Formats: sequence, C-alpha cells, structure tokens
Amino acid sequence: MSETLVFFLHGLAYAGLLFLVSSGLTLVFGMMNVLNFAHAAFYMLGAYVAFSVMQHSGSFWPAIVVSPMILFTLGVFVEKFLLRRVHARGHVYELLLTFGLAYVIQESVKFLWGTAPQAMTVNGFLADTITLFGATYPIYRLFIFGVSVAVGSLMALVLYKTRIGIIVRAAVDDSEMVEALGINVPFLFMAVYATGAALSAFAGVIAGPLLSVFPGMAESILIDAFVVVVVGGMGSLGGAVLASFLIGELQSFGVLWFPKFSMVLIYLMMALVLILKPEGLFGEKQS
Amino acid sequence: MTTRGAVIKRVFIFIALLSLLAMPRLISGYQLRLLTEATIFSLYAVSFNMLLGYAGLLSFGHAMFFGTGAFATAIALEYIAGLPLLLAVAIATLFTALVGLLVGMLLLRVKGTPFALLTLAFNALFFSIGIKWSSVTGGDDGLIVNLPDIDLGVYNLNMFHEPTVYYLSLIILGSTIGCCWFFTRTAMGQSVLLIRENEERMRFLGYSTHISRLILFVLSGALAGLAGSFYAIMNAFVSLDAISLEMTTKVLLMTFMGGIGHFIGPVFGAVFYTYFQNFLSEMTDSWPLIMGLLFIAMVLMAPGGIAGLAMSAREWFRKRFTSGNSLKEEL
Repeated sequence: MSETLVFFLHGLAYAGLLFLVSSGLTLVFGMMNVLNFAHAAFYMLGAYVAFSVMQHSGSFWPAIVVSPMILFTLGVFVEKFLLRRVHARGHVYELLLTFGLAYVIQESVKFLWGTAPQAMTVNGFLADTITLFGATYPIYRLFIFGVSVAVGSLMALVLYKTRIGIIVRAAVDDSEMVEALGINVPFLFMAVYATGAALSAFAGVIAGPLLSVFPGMAESILIDAFVVVVVGGMGSLGGAVLASFLIGELQSFGVLWFPKFSMVLIYLMMALVLILKPEGLFGEKQS
Repeated sequence: MTTRGAVIKRVFIFIALLSLLAMPRLISGYQLRLLTEATIFSLYAVSFNMLLGYAGLLSFGHAMFFGTGAFATAIALEYIAGLPLLLAVAIATLFTALVGLLVGMLLLRVKGTPFALLTLAFNALFFSIGIKWSSVTGGDDGLIVNLPDIDLGVYNLNMFHEPTVYYLSLIILGSTIGCCWFFTRTAMGQSVLLIRENEERMRFLGYSTHISRLILFVLSGALAGLAGSFYAIMNAFVSLDAISLEMTTKVLLMTFMGGIGHFIGPVFGAVFYTYFQNFLSEMTDSWPLIMGLLFIAMVLMAPGGIAGLAMSAREWFRKRFTSGNSLKEEL
C-alpha cells in the first residue's frame, strides 16, 4: 500500500514538473501559434542561472525570483530581434529559428558552466521529509506539485477571467481586428513569448533540486513535454493538465512495474492517441 | 548564350567528376575519409531535402532512418552468415523503407507544426529502443560491423582499404543522388512540389495527395537508410550516435546551410559542414556553438543557404556584365 502511495506521489511530482514546462510551451503555442523549440533550452538556462544565484546568495528563494526575471528579459530580446523577423516567412522558419536557438543555448551553457552535473541543494523546511500514512516522503516533491497547481490556477485565472486574457485570446483568433481596436499586438506577442520563457525558467529552477543541473536536462524534458502537448492537444491548457498527470503517473508506475520498458511506455501512449485522435485529447481538429 | 552556358556547365561537371575519381591519388588517409564522409552526408542531406525542400515537410527525426539503416547493416552482417556486403546494404535499405512506411502512415496523419514535433518524439523513441534493446543493438557500447570482402570473381575488394570504401560510396551514393535529381524531374516528383504549393487544387485534379506524400516519405527514409548503411561500413562500427538527436540536428543544419531551394544545395551543405566542422574542431571544443550561430544568422539573413548565395552572386555578376555590355552599346 505504502509503496503504491509513494510511487503515486512520485508521479504527481513529475506530473507537476511536466505541467510547469508544458504550460509555457502551450501558452506560446496557443497564443502565438509558434512551437518554441527553445523552450527546454530556456528551462535549462533558467536552472543554471538559478544554480549560480544560489551559489552567490546561499539560498533558494532569490534564485526562484531572479532566474525567471533574467529569462523574461532574454525572451523579450529573442522575440523582438529574432522571432519577429522570420514570422512573415511562415512556421517552418519559426521552427528552424527556435531550433537553432535551442542548439546555441545548449552549447553556450556547456561553454559557460562546463558539462559536469551540478547539485542544487535546498535547505530549510524544503529539505525535510514528512510522514504520510506511515510512509516517509520528501516535502520538496509535494512542494513541486503544490507550485504547479498554483501556477496552473493562476494561468487559468488570468487567461479566462481578466481583460488581458480576453485580449490575448482574441489576438490569436484575429490579430488584425484586435490591432484595429487599438491594441499593440506585436507588444502583446512579445509579452506572451517572454512570459513563456520566464515560466520555463521557473520550471527549471524548480526542477534543479530534484533532478540536478546538467547539460542533458533540456533534451530529456523536451521530449516528455512534447509528448504532453501531443497527447493533451496543442495549445490546450486543460489538455496539458490531464496529459501531464497521465504521463507523470505512467512514468512513475512504469518504473515500478516494467522497469525495462518504462521509457517506451509514454511513446506507446503517444502513438495510441495519434491513431485514435490525432489532434490530441483536448485538441481542436485541424482544418 | 544559353548553349555556351550549358557547355561550360558540362565541362565543369566533367572536371569535377574526374577530380573526384582521381582523389585517392592526390590525397590520402584522413583526408580521403573526410571526403567519404562528405559523400555519405550528401546523400543523407539530399534525402532530407526531399522532405523539407520539395514536400515542405520539416522533420526533426531524420536520424531514425539514418540510424535504422546503419544498425540494420551491422545486424544483418552479424546474424546472416556469408551475407555479401552489397546484399546487406540492400536489405538495410529495404528494411528502412518498411520502417519509413509504418512511421509515415502514423506521422503523416498530421501536418505542419504537429508533424515536426512528432518526428522529434519518434526519433527519441527510436533512440530509446536503441538503448533498451541492447542485446541486439549493443546499447551504449555499439556494434562492430564485420565487413566481408566484396568478391568480384577475379578480384576481392577489401573494405578496410580506404580508397575502396571511397570509390564504392562515390559510385553508389553518387548515382543515387543522380537518381534523386531525376526523380524530382518526373511527373511524380513535380506533383509533390505542386502539392506543397496548393494541396487543395491537386486534390481537385484527382491526385491522392496523401499517397504521394507517403511515397516521398518512404523514399526519403530509404535513402537516409542507405546513407546510414554506408556510414556503418565506413566506420566499421555503429553506435547510438547514428540514431541520436545530434545526427538529426546535423542533417538539418547541413541541408539548410546548403540551401533548401536547390537540388544541389544539400550537397554543398554536407561538404561545407564536414570540412568546416573538421576545421573548427581543431581550434575549439565549442565548435557547435559557432555552427549554431552561423545557422541562426543564415535563417535570418540568407534563407537560400550557400546555393542561394551562389545564385545571387551569379545574378549579380551577370547583371554587372550585361549592363556593362549594354552601356558599351549605348556609347
């Protein structure tokens, strides 16, 4: 019983992390129709920046604030000076650009921080454990899940209940009309992209203490986040929630029950969704 | 004027072919290996461009075919005793085509961005199969390829002799690239181009756009498999690097930097990439950083790649030349 519970909680923690990563991806895709290949690279860069901030300040909390801010700024520059310039040439060029960017960030990180894995250790209550139904469990993993719920709720609130959210969603459907209504759409897209970058950095900071910080961290999360986006449906926040949960648990129990095939399981699930519902569980049909 | 241009072009191609054939006399060892590698990557990039340049399908998973071809060659030679080398290459290519058919039937259900994303996920799937199925693929250790001699009846070709591998790659891969060029000129090849431009209209004209795209996808996969097969032969070894995301990145960079708008672009790209990487990696360990920055610069400023730059340079010279002429006539 307690083993099942522990693995369920492991699954929840990973699902939380997956949601934090894929929510930014979904936001940018849903709002700008750009699949941001650089997202996982931002995530990794965010984790490395946090690592350096932690080394200097000795605490986790400044890192969790500073790193998303730095990545937000980077996101502004990337959108304004790179992405915007290829937008008119269509989605292939946007994909190529963000892919190239991911490659450059990946290599820059290796150049600046080296290739050895770095441990990020939290202290204070986050490093403690808690006893749940007779099982001892690290608080940090529960913290990840809590944070992801908070971020998800906040995003839903902003997108569906505020004026900003309405404008952003309207700009996706008909950016010309929104622009005609006197709204600065390019500025809006820049803000959305930068928010996506900040979100991925936030996810990177959260992931650091759990998975440690290393150059391969981008690639492994990128694939999982892409699977989440495919399974959930591209651009759907609700789909991202459900798919993160499914894949997080599948990953966790896969390790418990089929250790040899755990990596392949999530791809099987993806293939299944692709056969039955190519647009994803919550996705809209392609025209 | 055009006929003179055509003659110059033919002479140029003839000289280029002749010098390629003479290469083993001129350079040796390491340099020859590099040239063999460039030949292999040329076919790999050409096959990739059949998707990207001709069908407008951006794949981030081409290494799954390259790697499948490489591993299939090694595995066929290991498990089938007395298998002739070229038959192993053929088996690997056909097997990759089959894999391409299965993957294509799944992936081509979606288009555009979801397609790009799924190809990447499938590449990751193939890579993890490669790691997990270590009893067959050798896992992290890779596989040594047992290269048999090619028996020509009167003469045995030893595949550990560098010029032999070079000539074999040049002849087989070179003629395959020629066939690809021919294919793009056929009605079938042209129809793919038209589907990219206006799919709806092609459907109205009675073309099954889905089947055309699938055929192209399978063909492109099979050719990448053939390139991968030769990669295994050249190294006499296959590792997971052949099926990795880096191998996908490599073909993407090569093809785009060479130029996706022209048939010959990817060949330029493959040659440029191979030699430039070789040059850079002698100077710095972070050569991928420089390569990546160059790639981004080209996406932003030279979307036609090297072939595009060469074309505009030619246009520029021609304009200058002819405008000079007309100026003379006016005077």
